[in-house]
Amino acid sequence: MGLLRYESQTRNPLVTGHKTYHQVTEDIVRPIEAKPSKLWKIGFTISLFLLSFGAYSVYRDVVYGIGQWNLNKTVGWGWDITNFVWWVGIGHAGTLISAILLLFRQGWRTGVNRAAEAMTIFAVMCAGQFPIFHMGRVWNAFFVLPYPNTRGPLWVNFNSPLLWDVFAISTYFTVSLLFWYCGLLPDLATVRDRAKEKWRKRMYGVLSFGWTGSTKHWQRHESLSLVLAGLSTPLVLSVHTIVSFDFATSVIPGWHTTIFPPYFVAGAIFSGFAMVQTLLLIVRKVLSLEDYITLEHIEVMNKVIVLTGSIVGIAYITELFISWYGQNPYEAAAFRNRWDITTPLAWSYYLMMSCNVLSPQIFWFRKMRRNITVTFFMSIIVNVGMWFERFVIIVTSIYRDYLPSSWSTYYRPTIWEVGFYMGTFGLFFTCFFLFSKFFPVIAIAEIKHILKKSGESYKEGVGGIETQAPEEFAHEQAHAH
Amino acid sequence: MSSFKEQFEIPGRFRNISFALMAVGIVSVIVGFFMYGSHEPARFWATMLHNSVFFLLITNASMFFICATTLAMGSWQLAFRRVPEAISKCVIPLGIIALIVLLCIVLGDQHHIYHWLDKEHVQHDTILKGKAGFLNPTFFIVWTLLSIGLWIALGHKMRQLSRYLDENPLASVAEGKKYVFKSTIWSALFIVWFALTVASVTPWLWLMSIDAHWYSTMYSWYTFASSFVSGMSLIALFVIFLKNRGYLEVVTEEHLHDLGKFMFAFSIFWCYLWFSQYMLIWYANIPEETIYFKPRVQGAYRAIFFLNLIVNFFTPLLLLMRRSAKRNYTSVAILAVIIIFGHWVDFYQMVFVGPFKEHVDLNLFDFGVAAGFVGLIMFSTGRALAQAPLLAKNDPFFKESVIHHT
Repeated sequence: MGLLRYESQTRNPLVTGHKTYHQVTEDIVRPIEAKPSKLWKIGFTISLFLLSFGAYSVYRDVVYGIGQWNLNKTVGWGWDITNFVWWVGIGHAGTLISAILLLFRQGWRTGVNRAAEAMTIFAVMCAGQFPIFHMGRVWNAFFVLPYPNTRGPLWVNFNSPLLWDVFAISTYFTVSLLFWYCGLLPDLATVRDRAKEKWRKRMYGVLSFGWTGSTKHWQRHESLSLVLAGLSTPLVLSVHTIVSFDFATSVIPGWHTTIFPPYFVAGAIFSGFAMVQTLLLIVRKVLSLEDYITLEHIEVMNKVIVLTGSIVGIAYITELFISWYGQNPYEAAAFRNRWDITTPLAWSYYLMMSCNVLSPQIFWFRKMRRNITVTFFMSIIVNVGMWFERFVIIVTSIYRDYLPSSWSTYYRPTIWEVGFYMGTFGLFFTCFFLFSKFFPVIAIAEIKHILKKSGESYKEGVGGIETQAPEEFAHEQAHAH
Repeated sequence: MSSFKEQFEIPGRFRNISFALMAVGIVSVIVGFFMYGSHEPARFWATMLHNSVFFLLITNASMFFICATTLAMGSWQLAFRRVPEAISKCVIPLGIIALIVLLCIVLGDQHHIYHWLDKEHVQHDTILKGKAGFLNPTFFIVWTLLSIGLWIALGHKMRQLSRYLDENPLASVAEGKKYVFKSTIWSALFIVWFALTVASVTPWLWLMSIDAHWYSTMYSWYTFASSFVSGMSLIALFVIFLKNRGYLEVVTEEHLHDLGKFMFAFSIFWCYLWFSQYMLIWYANIPEETIYFKPRVQGAYRAIFFLNLIVNFFTPLLLLMRRSAKRNYTSVAILAVIIIFGHWVDFYQMVFVGPFKEHVDLNLFDFGVAAGFVGLIMFSTGRALAQAPLLAKNDPFFKESVIHHT
């Protein structure tokens, strides 16, 4: 086809402010070259503080054992696994954006993919901490890896979804990291080429693997990206599917239900996008990147949030309905422990419902989708809601087991359980602050790729095409080469 | 300036074939009624239920496709948008047929299909008694009427919106934005209703309640995946047919490639849901749940069970994986036929195992009725295609679709 770059004016531009290629580079690299701002320093200090609190909490767990937590006879999984699933879920948006949206050719992904992928990697790092430290004897953690060993017949249990998790998450982490880093190469080379200080030149020189921008480099880069996108697409689905198997393969009422795999994936994308919104709304403000992360980007992500929130909503209602329809008294009892407001943990069920299903419906309205304050507030609400979803699934399904004498123990976490969770926030934000200081938070090369199609000034230039008759346009295109 | 070939003329052979197939269908229904109607009515009604629901859902998938792409502000599909529009019009005759079949089963007290219709039995069956609030004729009929009625009404509105532009081209970008907004609202309404029907309540009533004691939360999503991938294949078939006849000039192999991707990806998605449902039930091994798969895997339906996987997963996975296969009209057409047939078989095992656990009864009667429905879809879609210009050329995103490339 002749005219390769045209996008209807009916769509809003994805890069505003009449940018040129040079300005794009300037805008995105500026925060890396400048001294860190005061806000950055304050944020980084808070993150470090949280991280140390977390490190101390984990230290107590390792030295004194799991008894530092309030897990009890029936609630064997509490905050730890809730946090694990929550973080893994958040780690879905990045790869979804970079792989699946690439396959769907969504141009808006270019503005947000880099930060989302970084977020994915940090979130998966946080998630991994929980099952590892939940083992208690963490120095034996390497036992989860299946390899011929001298421990006699002691092997991992290949029938257990918990082991599948080890494979799924480590694969996902590896591929996401590779994908993210490969995308970074051309941009790191850009930073290197602009560097004035020697150390900077050397550091980015090493990091960019000697990228020169030659045609051959680009060609290989593009093929590699495609292969990695192809690999990560099934991975996005597999990770949370297998996390859902942790519950659904059991015979525990409330856990064993066939809808879990796709519903967990939808929920993961839902919470992942909420966290992307939280981060990017801050990033675009602090680093003044409003021209690249535009209202348009925020709006489409809110659409994803209302879509996935509603899918999750249908799954909740389906589960609730089938718990009655199945006429299985145990299943009914498990759900009674959620919906019956006189039960001790029903509040968490209603909190989950209102955060995840009801409140995102506000995004059916365009005005709300494009309102930054509302979006920021909602992104927090969704994250809270999704945390409670996991809490509801895990704790309300097991806090009243088959032996009513053990019902009396009401599970609430100790300070060290909470501290561990806070610590992962510290880890997450420490990583993210470092990332935003040293790496371009927006994919420079990819923005340039869409600039001449979706950039504001270029879009203004296609007015002639808009008024052209469709027949004439098609005829011209067919004979353009 | 050349103009598009926008007026579809139904080829004589196409029309004749569609009439012949419909005739085969009608004869099959009549013969089937006399063969089974009196002494084995369940056999007759199971076939009618299987075919009417399957073909209704795969044609309705076209409107789902239109609405989903509208909501996503997609443009690539506009080059052939009139095709799913025309297919979705089949929802009117097929919806009426399915409605009649479902009403006959429920009002005719065909409790061999739906056990919950047997009032006497339900009185002594604690589980079915407990379900009576949902599984009862009144709710069944009301929900069925609402489902089909609103699919038809909202689908009609969507087609009307698209047709409106044929006579009233958009004068400016601002008007285009208004138009996009308006179609978004109607698409959203359709999608919400679709989620409440196809993705949840309707398959529970129409299909899952055949195995009245059994339940699976995945069931409706599974049904959706099955009907959606067949629906996409049906769209691809008609696109290829029109292309072969020299219509749809702006459709290129780029568009075909994307249709092929949908067929490929959703075959995998179908299998993902299939696996999730099967594996979880197998792993937990709870008798109340495994009973569903017992006759399917270990009983008479074993061959069909594996055929289902081979045809609907391995075949598209292996044959559509290559880029060149998705860009080739012949291979996409062949795969489309295979996929539609495969999911017809999938629906067969969803319907038939409940009433006929002991033996597989699949004969010319079933194929004859299916032929009738195929003929009806050909006839109805052909007519709908001839009634409107073949290109939605005034859509604000149409030009993007013209230069679409993967």
